[in-house]
Amino acid sequence: MEAISFENVHFSYDEGEKDAFALNGVSLSVQEGEFVAVLGHNGSGKSTLARLTDGLLTPSSGRITVLGMDAGDPKKLFDIRRNVGIVFQNPDNQTVASIVEDDIAFGPENIGVPRAEIGERIDAALAAVGMTAYRNASPARLSGGQKQRIAIAGVLALRPKIMILDEATAMLDPRGRKEVIDVVLRLNKQDRITVVLITHFPEEALLADRAVVMNRGEIVMQGIPSDILCREEELETFNLALPRPVAICRALRKGGLPVRDALSPEQLAEELFSVLPEKEAPSESPDGEEKFSSRESGRDDGPKEGDGGTGSVLCRNLTHTYNPGSPFATQALNGVNAEIRAGEFFGIIGHTGSGKSTFVQHLNALIKVPTAEKKYKPKKPKKGTVLPPPVVLKADGFDLTDKKTDFRKLRSKVGMVFQYPEYQLFAETVAADVAFGLKNFSDGISEEEINRSVKEALETVGLDYEAVKDRSPFELSGGQKRRVAIAGVIVTKPEILVLDEPAAGLDPLGKQEIMQLLHKIHKEWCKTVIIVSHDMDEISENCTRAAVFSDGKVVREASPAELFLDYATLSGLGLDIPFTAKVTELLEQKGVKLRCDFTSADFVRKTLEYAGLGGREDA
Amino acid sequence: MRDVTFGQYYPAESPVHRCDPRTKILFFIVYIAAIFTAKNFYGLGACAFVFLLVAALSRVPFGSLLRSVRAIVFLLVFTAVLNLFFYSGETVWWQWKFIKITREGTIYTVFLAVRLFLLVAGSAILTLTTTPVSLTDGIESLLYPLKLIRFPVHELALIMSIALRFIPILTDETGRIMNAQKARGADFETGGLVRRVKAVIPVLIPLLVSAFRRADELGDAMDARCYSGSKVRTKYKKLRFAGRDFIAFLLGAALLAGVILFRVYFANLL
Repeated sequence: MEAISFENVHFSYDEGEKDAFALNGVSLSVQEGEFVAVLGHNGSGKSTLARLTDGLLTPSSGRITVLGMDAGDPKKLFDIRRNVGIVFQNPDNQTVASIVEDDIAFGPENIGVPRAEIGERIDAALAAVGMTAYRNASPARLSGGQKQRIAIAGVLALRPKIMILDEATAMLDPRGRKEVIDVVLRLNKQDRITVVLITHFPEEALLADRAVVMNRGEIVMQGIPSDILCREEELETFNLALPRPVAICRALRKGGLPVRDALSPEQLAEELFSVLPEKEAPSESPDGEEKFSSRESGRDDGPKEGDGGTGSVLCRNLTHTYNPGSPFATQALNGVNAEIRAGEFFGIIGHTGSGKSTFVQHLNALIKVPTAEKKYKPKKPKKGTVLPPPVVLKADGFDLTDKKTDFRKLRSKVGMVFQYPEYQLFAETVAADVAFGLKNFSDGISEEEINRSVKEALETVGLDYEAVKDRSPFELSGGQKRRVAIAGVIVTKPEILVLDEPAAGLDPLGKQEIMQLLHKIHKEWCKTVIIVSHDMDEISENCTRAAVFSDGKVVREASPAELFLDYATLSGLGLDIPFTAKVTELLEQKGVKLRCDFTSADFVRKTLEYAGLGGREDA
Repeated sequence: MRDVTFGQYYPAESPVHRCDPRTKILFFIVYIAAIFTAKNFYGLGACAFVFLLVAALSRVPFGSLLRSVRAIVFLLVFTAVLNLFFYSGETVWWQWKFIKITREGTIYTVFLAVRLFLLVAGSAILTLTTTPVSLTDGIESLLYPLKLIRFPVHELALIMSIALRFIPILTDETGRIMNAQKARGADFETGGLVRRVKAVIPVLIPLLVSAFRRADELGDAMDARCYSGSKVRTKYKKLRFAGRDFIAFLLGAALLAGVILFRVYFANLL
């Protein structure tokens, strides 16, 4: 039976305006039990599709039927919503209660399910998402992935036949994303629930039976995901990125290696294994060091060590406890040692709760070391007690353990861009918002100088100064807002720029653009760039070195080339490795030894070299 | 406040924690009534005894209780000083111009201070041993009879529950935005009143924008989960009284009766 059917559906958010259609003649049919992925650039109309199906919006014209019921009939609305569950993007904005079981009960309560049965439904829903142990927990204390699973359970308690996930994984880290996708797959395969997965991650779309690509309110491509995701030109026209594996295959083919498109590391390893010439273990060149250095060459503009001078960070024995002395005390940092050299593009990796955010907040004294507090008075050490090792924390030449340090100056030199920085915009115009930091930091700066710096900063982040300066930041698109927010930090010309998950919530193309922007800033604007990231591919593609945080400590600090060689340590910490490292590892198991620095470009180059096609470096 | 459940709930296993929230709310009302009924130290002593008993049973460290009284120390001292110096008593112990300390004034001051302390510390026990969520449940249940006069009890309860749910989220968000603006040189700690009020704007506006966005999304999510008001609605959680609740009721009744008896049979304070 047909689960969802759209017949020539039009929809417009502002009625009347001619070409403001969010949906422009969409016809779509989803069968019961099917798993459909909907892909599309931001603003392509994919969320509108979800809202129309559930009757949260009504179409301007056309006909929508859900399980045979007409979505335009207000009397059927309730029945449709019982049968269609939607999980939205932000896990925080979908829960109504402060206790998990109360929240899951919300749906059944609404439709008047008797009390005893609600209990059973809660049991079943929690079991289905693997969260039984959290029945009495508070959602506020769960991880993003867990919260989203609770949101799914809340929807499941209504026993829906159709489940729509509206970018439900966009705000999650890789671990959370996997948790959610596993649950969704199980629901589809075991319980035969029809799934419509709206996403911008190609890897997720691959799991579906069918992929639908939307662009400007129209369905432009439809078919088997593995086929759709390999059509490079078309994807490009619709502003979608080619999945990384496919992009690598293309580059290999361009270099003369006849590989077919692969979509997973296993596939690619298989393909490569079949085309690469058999060789004895490659002669380990004595200058093995040199092989890694492609990334670092040309970067030797700073001192070799992170001595805490201009553009660098030196940290020794840093500890931090939240809510010390209370029953909620948590030790976030537990003796961190790190060195970040001037001129680096440094990565910080680790799970939520590993201490990485706490660490970076120390770098510009948003969290101060106790000895730097105004109230601090040195205590006389008691006899017999062992003194903790002395804390050293220096950034850009400032001593962060000394309360005499000029912390305002420090903050202008160590810039900090938080996660989702677009949510801190506040001023009436873009120019005023960008100027905010500059005015705070530089007393008596002239209007002219402000304008010039603001202009420069906005142009650096790729915005047209004249076009945006007088607009309200709230009118801009999501990507533009983020750029404005970054401009608002770099406007003071910091030597060190720290960014917490700069690409969070963006689609793959947006991620690429932001990383390109950061490289540009690194080159022209700030000496050292530090990014905190969950995305190992992001780290391996962009960083010169990275530190791995776990349990409030740095467990490893090395270049990605060395770091990701050590699969065991990383997977022991529950961390992923980049795609290229996965392929390299699989190949190594088969006896093919590639040594690359794990950037896609170097992976392609080294593979071609291995195949004896090394001369052609156009990849 | 980071990572702390909203409110001052002190997690522990105790009979007081396990009591039905309705019992605790009613008991608290009785306790207040008893405090105000008491007109001499016998009555107040009975209240203090009950307070100490419940405090001991609750296993909340006395320090936490005292900390919650800290907020009213100023009020306590202020009223005490006024009473001590300006109460018009007869037995004058010390006098300087129109300021005098009398025996009656001293007794009255002590009485008032103890009363105020018992009031505040008592309410602290209520909030220290009851989560905001179960307090809300209790209030909803106690207000239930008001449904007869079309008072929107359910809506009120839902609003309270959502508010509780979003307090930690918005607290976190406030912290994040403040940090972000601090990183851009905003200064919330120095300057005069005007400057400080101005400094709040860059925090307030993003917070409001975010709150509206969240409200919007929450509305959609609730709609999608079939929320339509309270007509056919059932309720999953029902509060149930247990044995300890009856003991609590007995204790409350005994306290009130005792205080009334003390008031009738013993002389008033002054």
